[in-house]
Formats: sequence, structure tokens, C-alpha cells
Amino acid sequence: MTWVTWRQYRLQGAIALALLAAFAAAMLTYGFQMAAAWHSLLLRCTAVGAPVNVPLGSCAGGSIVGEIPNDLRVLSVIVPVIIGVLWGAPLVAHETETGTANFAWTQGITRSRWLLVKAGWLLLAAALCGAAVSALVTFWSGPVNAMRGQQFNGVFFDTQGLVPIGYAVFATALGIAAGALLRRTLPAIAVTLGVFIGVRLLFNNAIRPHLMPAVTTLVSMTSTWSPPGIAWVFGTTVISKSGQVLAFSQNTFGANGIPITAACARLLPGPAKAIAGRSANPFGPALSCMQSAGYRQLVSYQPGWRYWPFQGIETAIYLLLAAALMAVAWYVLRRRDA
Amino acid sequence: MNWDERSLVLSRRGGTAMAGSATTGPAPAIQTTRLTKRYRRVTALSDCSVTVPQGSICALVGPNGAGKTTLLRMLCGLSRPTDGAASVLGAAPRQAPEFLAEVGFLAQEMPLYRRMSAEDHIAAGAHLNNRWDGASVRDRLRSLGIPLDRAVGTLSGGQRAQVALALVLAKQPRVLLLDEPVAALDPLARRHFLAVLTEAVAAAEGSLTVMLSSHLIADIERVCDHLVLLAASHVQLCGDTDDLLAEHKILIGPKKDTAPLEAAHTIVQATTAGRQATLLVRVDGPLIDPAYQVEDVGLEELVLGYMGAAAPAAYARPGTSELDEPAGDER
Repeated sequence: MTWVTWRQYRLQGAIALALLAAFAAAMLTYGFQMAAAWHSLLLRCTAVGAPVNVPLGSCAGGSIVGEIPNDLRVLSVIVPVIIGVLWGAPLVAHETETGTANFAWTQGITRSRWLLVKAGWLLLAAALCGAAVSALVTFWSGPVNAMRGQQFNGVFFDTQGLVPIGYAVFATALGIAAGALLRRTLPAIAVTLGVFIGVRLLFNNAIRPHLMPAVTTLVSMTSTWSPPGIAWVFGTTVISKSGQVLAFSQNTFGANGIPITAACARLLPGPAKAIAGRSANPFGPALSCMQSAGYRQLVSYQPGWRYWPFQGIETAIYLLLAAALMAVAWYVLRRRDA
Repeated sequence: MNWDERSLVLSRRGGTAMAGSATTGPAPAIQTTRLTKRYRRVTALSDCSVTVPQGSICALVGPNGAGKTTLLRMLCGLSRPTDGAASVLGAAPRQAPEFLAEVGFLAQEMPLYRRMSAEDHIAAGAHLNNRWDGASVRDRLRSLGIPLDRAVGTLSGGQRAQVALALVLAKQPRVLLLDEPVAALDPLARRHFLAVLTEAVAAAEGSLTVMLSSHLIADIERVCDHLVLLAASHVQLCGDTDDLLAEHKILIGPKKDTAPLEAAHTIVQATTAGRQATLLVRVDGPLIDPAYQVEDVGLEELVLGYMGAAAPAAYARPGTSELDEPAGDER
């Protein structure tokens, strides 16, 4: 069966390798360019003794912002779904569609074994592709990561580390299961695309923020504290002494996006004064008023060190989903008429 | 009729052909009891009970949609019965290597991987089967002048059919199920195909049983010794062709009350023209009505008679009954 899988997928494998090589060439070329630019910036900055403005990639000595090539990593986001659509979806569907299932499933091996071996190799290949692409993007992103410090941000988190492996394996299993259920390649491809995108969007927006309970820190109203490292800050709420959240309402006034009670709002600067600005924080008196009224700021965030735990948990969830989908495909293949 | 050819085939296979029909002999190659397959709305096969002894070549005939494909697919384990039971060489079709090794199936569309060559298929078969005679495929295809290294998608329909048959024979199955294997072939390719098939059966000396569905009665007459006739998802006839032919007679005589006749015999189909009636009768005991002229029945008349009797009245009227309706999906 291994030989048969190899014979059937050798063309796809060769195409994948060629594409991977092209991607690697681009990533390595631009990656080394960018790394060189980053290092020369650091040298220029230290030469003039200026601190590097990390998020902006600049210092008094110069800037490399213009030297960053277009964001190649975006390309890598679609790699898993391409694998799922081109390798996973046809695995069963193409055989049932063209009738070759009648040949394959009346040879001397059972359908379960047929699926196990074929899907096993394919999932392994998908995982390797995911890992290779992720490694390239992680290398390429080194200077960008250092400059921007947005490791939890969508396209940063999704294209580096472990998660691309999870996505690739999940997309392939999804394609296989959709193909087994629908028995036709095109509908299976459509479903694979739709479900993959849907699951990714849902996960990124609704599930990832809660993979671990957010950390909350209580700080004074006048503090400008922010979590250390490259954290994922969800936001700041104002709570009263009794722990009630002060929400924006008709009786509150905003100061830097922070709600202020009506009582303290009279200390807010007028619009003209606020715009003109003063040496001190124009909102200072109002915030001090809130502080003495017993209000505190509650900052909720995911600390920066959770980057790798998050990568691990998310990858594990996608691998479990893939396992569940393979179980579905196996059940369908065994139980349903060919 | 090609009785001589048929008996030649039978004699080449030796005397083992009849061994399976003895009640105490080995398990029948194929036995089904009240086998039924229902899809969501359609009943494809209903209460099908047939027995095919080992070593026979059994024709499976019937109009399109009669359930022939359904029966074959259940026998090779590609689909499951809704009700009833099937047994192939004494065991129910199932997903187990020891069952799959004994059964060969060739679907109507001769499914092969179009971009793969015959040689690739031979290699694939070697990897997918414990018992595999790749050399026989090469010999067979070379002798027919079929290239082994070209993608099978570029071969002609007849060549593809030969490749598919050679591959299914390389598996050395003990039960070979062929779904309309010659339907798409020209007469010459058909003859080649059937010649290869009968040779393989002869070479197996009674250990290979074939069930093949076909619309072509001349072919069936030449190569088959058993007949299963399905119509309207039911079994109409099942048995040794010689026995079936001996059991049936054509009666030609005046149109009259058939009740006395039906007391002993079964009228399969009655057609009348003017005052004359032609009856296809399943005979049970001596025929003693001197009013009828009794004639032997041919296989085609027999098959058409049963198919006509099971078909809707308008379809079955003499002169309008046809075997070749546009091919439909029989699954």
C-alpha cells in the first residue's frame, strides 16, 4: 500500500517539493537581507548612542522600515488549506468518483488498511510541509518579531512555531473526511475550504483568547502600567472599591478611553485645553479624583511567556480535531457501501 | 446455436463442474438467501435466493435496473445487504484479507487508474495482494499486443477491458464477479475477452467460479452453464441452463381455456395472434394435450419470456420488447 500511495502521489509530491523550494529561496533571500538591515540599524543606533525604537525599527541613527520587503509570510497562511484541498479531498473522493475504488477495494487488503496507510503517509507529508514552511517563516520573521513585538497578533502567531503543523494536518484530515462523506472531489474541496476557513476564524476570535485564563492586574487610576514583555493585552476596565465595573454610560465621561464618573468629570479639561495640551497629563486631576474615590484600573492580558504554551495547546487541539475527522472517515469507509 | 462450442468448454473443464451441485458437495460458490437491498426510496433487489455451484460459469441476466450490479457488489463486499444473507464459498462477504483474496470483481466501467500503465497496475496488485501472478498478466497482454508501459487511459476500450480482466485474473480468485464485462466491446474484442475468460476457467480445473452479467444472449449461450435471471428486482430463474431448457417448452395451439394445463404446469408467458396462442410453459410432468404442438425452447426465447412476463404490459408486448434500453445506473 505504501508503494501504491507513493505511485499515486509522486506527482503531487514533486510539485509540493518544487513549490517549497521556491518559497524557501524567497524566504532565505529576503530573510538574510532583512537580517543584515536589522544588524546595520543596530550598529548605527549604537554608534550614535541612541536607543532603538523597537516597534518602529528606527532610532536617531536611521530606520529600516522601508527596507522590509512585502509581507511574504501571508503566502504561508494558505499552505495548509492548499494541502488539504489538493491532497486530502481527492484521497477517497477521487477513487469513488472515477470508480477506481472498485479496483482498490477489491484487492487483497481491507478498506481500513487502505485508508490507514494512505492517509498516514499523507498526514505525515502534510505535517512535514507545515513544519518546513513554519521554520522558514520563523527564520524570516526574526527581525520583524524583534521590531514589532506582536507575537500574539493574528498573522504573526498563525505562521510561526508549531501551529502551522496543526493547521496542515487538520486541513488534510478535513479533506479526507469530506471526500469520504461526499464521494466527489469538487464538493469535498468546497467543503474543506469553507470549513477550514470557518474553523480558523472561529478559533482565532473566540477560542484562542481563552486557551488559558487571562491574567488581571489591579493598578492605580493614575498609573500608565502595562504588562511586561510582549503580552496580549485584552483591555482595561475601571472597577469600584466594591468590585463593580464602571461602564461607559450617559453619566460617565471618557478620558483616554477610560470611563470617568460624573463627579470627577468636572475636573476634565475642556476640549480646547485638551487639544492644546499642557506639560502635565491634562486628565491627571480627573484620574486622581477617581483614584481617591476608590476606583482602580483592572488590566487583563495574556503574559508574553504564554506564547509557547499557546502554540502547544492550539496545535494539540487541531491535531485532536484531525484525529476525530480521521475517525469519521474511517467509520464512513468501513460502514457505508462503496 | 453454438452447442458444440459450449460443450467443448464444458468438457475442457472436466467433470468437476457438476460436483458442486450435489447437496453433499463443497459449499456452493455463491449462495444467497432472501438477499435484499433497499436504497432510500428504491428497492434494488428483493428476496433474492440463488445458488451457484463451484466451477460453473453463471450468467446473470435481466433488464437494466433489475439489480444485477447490486447483487454483484454485495457478493464482493463493496456494499452491504439491507436484509437476507449472502455467502461466497461458505462465508459472508466481509472486510477481511482472507475473504478479499478469494473474490475478484470487475465493475462495468473497467475502473483503472488512467494515468498509470499496465505495469504500474501489476506492481500495485503485487503490493495489495498476497497471492498475485503478475507474470500471467504480462504474458496475456503481450500475446494480445497490448503495450504494458503506456498509461491505460490512452488504450482503446477493448484493450483496457483486457488489462482489467488480466489484472483480476492475476489475483487468482476462486469466485470471479464480472459486471457486464463485454458491454462496451466490439464483437472481436468481445470474442477475445470471452476466450481469455473461458481459458482461465478451464485452466483452473473447477476451482474458479464465474458470475457474469450480460445482455448478450449469444455470448451467454456460448460460455455459460448456469443462469440467474433477475427482473423487477426478483429472481425469476436460477439453475443449470441445460436443466432450465429441458424444463421449458413452447406450446403452440388454439386459443382456449388454459386452466387444465395450469393444473400441472406453469405458464410463464402467453402471447396470442388471432386464434392461435403461443405459450411458454414450465413443464412439470408429461404434457398430454394433443391440441398443442410442443417445441423445445431456446435460451433467448426463455430469457425473453421471463423478462417479458415480469415487465410492464406495454413494454412486454411482442414486437416491442427490447433488451437494449439506454444503459442506466443500475446501482
